[in-house]
Parts: sequence; C-alpha cells; structure tokens
Amino acid sequence: MEAPPYAVFLFPSVSHTLKAEKILKEQGIVHKLIPVPRHLSSDCGVCLRVLAEQQERVRKSLQDRVIWEKTVPL
Amino acid sequence: MKTTVDARGLACPQPVLLAKKALQENAEVTVLVDDDIAVENISRLAAKMACSFSMTRKEGGIREIELVRTGASLSSPLEDETLTRELTCAVAPKKEEAPFVIVLSDNRMGRGDDVLGDVLIRGFIHTLGQLKPLPDTIICYNAGVKLAVKDSTVLDDLQQLAEAGVDILVCGTCVNYFGLGEQIAVGHISNMYDILETMAGAGRLVRP
Repeated sequence: MEAPPYAVFLFPSVSHTLKAEKILKEQGIVHKLIPVPRHLSSDCGVCLRVLAEQQERVRKSLQDRVIWEKTVPL
Repeated sequence: MKTTVDARGLACPQPVLLAKKALQENAEVTVLVDDDIAVENISRLAAKMACSFSMTRKEGGIREIELVRTGASLSSPLEDETLTRELTCAVAPKKEEAPFVIVLSDNRMGRGDDVLGDVLIRGFIHTLGQLKPLPDTIICYNAGVKLAVKDSTVLDDLQQLAEAGVDILVCGTCVNYFGLGEQIAVGHISNMYDILETMAGAGRLVRP
C-alpha cells in the first residue's frame, strides 16, 4: 500500500511546532510530529506532517495563532 | 591401528571433532569430507596433534584426507580441552550478526526537559522505521511501555516496525505497575527472563 500524500509544516522553533500541534490536537486534525526530512532544512529539526488534503484546513487553524516558515509537499 | 571417518555432509565442527576422536584412538586415520572448511580445520588439527596431513580430491567433490600420527599423543586433558576449543570452527562460515536491540526504558529521550524528551522520542521512533537494517528487537520497560499504548503518539510507527518483523517486547511487570493492561496496542507482553536474555544476547544495544 502506498503512503498517502502528505504535506509538512515547518516552524521557526520547537515551541512554535508544539504550539501548532496543540492547536491541531484541539481541532481533531490528524497530524504527526516528525523530524524534518533530510532534504529540507530547518533550525528546529521537527515539523508537523499532515495529510495533503488537510493542508488548507491546517492553514486556517494556525492562521493568526502561530507562525510557520513554509509548507512543503512530501 | 587404522580407521576411516566418513564426515561427508556434516557441518562444522563435526568433521574436525570426529577426526580428532579417531586420532586419539588410531595412529592412521582417513577422513572423508566434502567441503574446504572441513579440510582447513582438519589440517590445523593435524598441525596441532603432530600428524602428517595429505589430501586428495576424489570424484563428486569428496576430499580424502590421510592423517598419520608422527609425534606423541596429547598429554593432558587440559591441553585437550584447549585444543578442542581452538579448533572448533576455526575456519567457519561467517555467522549471522548477533541481534540488534533497541531499549526504550522511558517514554522520553534523554534527560533534562520532559517536553523536549517527548519531542525527541517521537522523532527517534519515527526515524527508526527508516533505519537499515531495522533492529531485530525493541524492548520497552519502565515508562517505555507507555509508548506502546492505544493512544500513544508513536503507536503507528511501532506498529509499522512490528509489521516489518521487529519483535517488540513489552515488560509485563511495568504494564501491571502502571495499570495499562488493557491499553497495550502493539508488541507482546514479556517477562524479565526474555528481556534479560535478549539484552544479554544482543550484538548491539541502543538506548535513546
């Protein structure tokens, strides 16, 4: 079975990542905190992986609450 | 006395042990073997036991080895024991590597900050699934068993590892202590015997 398409959200720090994770948890959005994939770079080293189809919903949830650096399809 | 040992088809260390036994009782021994490892081992035996050694290749991959004792036989049982130990599989096929074991002794990685430790262990277990080769066994004990419960953030990673053939041992005493009996969702409940044996028999033991 092929893995579903994902997108990762990269944040400026671990605490930003954790704050974002808390928001996604509250909203019941399926996500996973993973190390930043090797081919990407980030100072903080961890990022949030979500289903690609959920990307917009995640953006809306995080908007104005926590800043992120970028999103990258995985 | 003269005798023949048929050691064809026997795996190391059988041929060399049979040859040695025959040499202790006979001055001349013919050994039939069918692989070079046995030949090599028996030639070492001959050198150690002061025997002449000659080998002839026969049909069907059979090697006929002639051993004739030229010196005194082994003097003491102690020497004998040392010799056996030295010869046994002196030249043996490379054994499979000893097991690679990961020990999860906590539900966090490292000490210092619990929140950070939680972030790190999640990253560690997720990345473990991409490691080649995968570990043979993962042992969870103490708070490490909390990683194997139903609502664990690394449950999917551990399940994927289990599906890939990694044996996951979960300490039963710890599960009981934390009252997680109904919560364990991956691996199998194990005991100190298996845990200690697995740790003691590991080639590599990694603890995050």
